[in-house]
Amino acid sequence: MIILYIIASIVVPLSFPFISWALGRWYQAGITSKLMENEKILGSILDDKMSVTTSNKVSMIGAEYSTLLHVSLCVGPSMGQMFFMWLKSIFGGRLHSYDVVLDFGRREALLRLKQQAAERGCTSIVNIRIETSVVSFAKTQKSKQASVEFLAFATGIR
Amino acid sequence: MQGQTISLLMSNVESIPGKNVVSSLGLVTGSTVRAKHIGKDIFAGLKNIVGGELKAYTELLNESRNEAIQRMMMDAHARGANGIVNIRFATSNVAAGASELFCYGTAVVVE
Repeated sequence: MIILYIIASIVVPLSFPFISWALGRWYQAGITSKLMENEKILGSILDDKMSVTTSNKVSMIGAEYSTLLHVSLCVGPSMGQMFFMWLKSIFGGRLHSYDVVLDFGRREALLRLKQQAAERGCTSIVNIRIETSVVSFAKTQKSKQASVEFLAFATGIR
Repeated sequence: MQGQTISLLMSNVESIPGKNVVSSLGLVTGSTVRAKHIGKDIFAGLKNIVGGELKAYTELLNESRNEAIQRMMMDAHARGANGIVNIRFATSNVAAGASELFCYGTAVVVE
């Protein structure tokens, strides 16, 4: 009984990063495919009637309504992925897990911006800006729990 | 903030689309510093096992950013402006467990 307990107490913490990594990969694949579906459904509708641009040199004469749109979104990789990234960062190189998470966050933020614009009846979005910042509300400095915030803001015009 | 809602025309381009800017009233700012409820922090920590979107943080940031915007609008309203142009946002981690959300713009009078 005691031997079992000792084995469990060694195996469980050791396997935790692997479990978390695998769960993270599975969960993130799910949300990414959901996002791609949404992009297909909403993206096609919005691309027809909206002109989305990062430029502010757009002819805005005749606009009857304008509003500020802003969306923020927090994403973070899973603990297991963070552990493997820490290992990977010893050798340097591309951190694939981070790529995936950040790409997801940015696309989701843009999608929500479009949704917000559609809700308010805007026909075009101008001057889109995307900002990235690291936010952590963890109470201790020791904890590595970090998340990345994406803020997308723009002006919607009708 | 005392029950009254101020509605101003806001944009992050140089003018209010479709309107004429008459005069500029200078810089207006709004900021708020927020920390997280520790119980929600634990749930966010659990969510970190799988990663992805951290809804508790997203919610918190959205509501505090709205508050920052509200403060900026009150500042502009106090100066007698009816629009804010060129709005920018900034986020910074001022202390462990707290974030500052800051927004600024130029108060203008439009016709």
